[in-house]
Amino acid sequence: MGLEYVRISPGFEKYMPKDYVDLVQYGQFGRDIDVQQLGQFKELVEEHPMCAGCFMAYFIRVFYAALPKPEDTIVLGTAGCARLALSQAAVPFIYGNYGDTNAVASGLKRALSIRFPDKEKDVVVIAGDGGLIDIGFGMTMHSWFRREKFTTIMVDNEVYGNTGGQESGMSPKGVQLKMAPKGKQFEKINAVELAKTAGCVYVAKLSPTNPKRIAKTVKRAILAARHFGPTFIHAYTSCNIEYSIPTEKVLEDARKREKQDFGFYEWMTDEVKEFFEEMERKPEEVKA
Amino acid sequence: MYYVADVKETDCAKYNCKQCVLFCPEPNTLMYHDSKHVAWVNYSRCKGCAICVYVCSDLLKRNCIEMVMMTAGE
Ligand SMILES: Cc1ncc(C[n+]2csc(CCOP(=O)(O)OP(=O)(O)O)c2C)c(N)n1
Ligand code: SF4
Ligand code: SF4
Ligand code: SF4
Ligand SMILES: [Mg+2]
Repeated sequence: MGLEYVRISPGFEKYMPKDYVDLVQYGQFGRDIDVQQLGQFKELVEEHPMCAGCFMAYFIRVFYAALPKPEDTIVLGTAGCARLALSQAAVPFIYGNYGDTNAVASGLKRALSIRFPDKEKDVVVIAGDGGLIDIGFGMTMHSWFRREKFTTIMVDNEVYGNTGGQESGMSPKGVQLKMAPKGKQFEKINAVELAKTAGCVYVAKLSPTNPKRIAKTVKRAILAARHFGPTFIHAYTSCNIEYSIPTEKVLEDARKREKQDFGFYEWMTDEVKEFFEEMERKPEEVKA
Repeated sequence: MYYVADVKETDCAKYNCKQCVLFCPEPNTLMYHDSKHVAWVNYSRCKGCAICVYVCSDLLKRNCIEMVMMTAGE
């Protein structure tokens, strides 16, 4: 969009919906918001139909609060639960056909750098485990092999949540799901190692137990993609419906999985590491 | 009737805390009052998951939020 598209022309405030006016007056556009300020500014995401207690919805909430430059960001999603919230945010959203997100994002990012050579436009894909590692596997891998400069975030609920509980490559071995009654026969795919092998320059894995850390990871993934190459975040975002987790225990489950197999993990190339070290030394100059 | 979270304002005000606000899955729902230093719920947006109760009661042992039944329009 760019900031000039976000601002309301003088005199038109009273005709705009209140939520939009709030966004411009008390929101994130053109401002450096810290995720700890959640609850004290107007968030970019609006009401959406994701289930009560859904931690994928929680991750998406923190993701938007962490965007380094929301007015210059484009989010790409696809079929699956995440798009139910992604499509309700004040950040341009493109719906890629199921499995195609990383191909669409590749073209989009290249087109943006031709159309706006002097501006930084961030492209972020957020899609499910099915969308990225099963049906979109080829597109995901090839965008990484080609070193496309955008961020891919897998919101991994270890199931096809949106279509009622089929197993995915990311479901853990042995797990029984509504449409995998015999229990999954194969191991969970190691997406993080695949990303490193395929050429991502920044790779992280997390369970959403710490908003500050989620925000830092999202910012780093976006900045590294802006300057160096493909980046990947593997986030555990439970499906309380398909895994029958009582909603009040969703955070407890995220904390348990963090201890078990989703401990925070971050890897980056030496070049990216130097960039962040430099940025931390003089934050104003390299500021997002 | 629907189920929503409700903050006990005088109890919450004793702590300079906003932990529950940082864990609600819903945007613009569990808010924090800048000057009163208390959390408050936008009832029409709350989906009743009780994650905030887990944070306040189970993790922090502060017991300042409870789930209540509310009638539409209240
Ligand atoms: C080309 C195509 N194939 C299949 C579907 C049906 N479909 C919609 S969502 C979905 C699975 C979603 O699983 P995942 O990507 O893990 O997202 P989740 O809903 O679990 O977040 C499928 C198979 C589709 N929309 N398009
Ligand atoms: S089906 Fe599962 S992943 Fe989808 S919105 Fe509901 S709880 Fe979240
Ligand atoms: S966690 Fe409890 S004490 Fe802390 S802000 Fe929320 S309601 Fe108040
Ligand atoms: S019950 Fe759930 S949706 Fe409602 S305020 Fe608490 S955490 Fe947020
Ligand atoms: Mg899934």
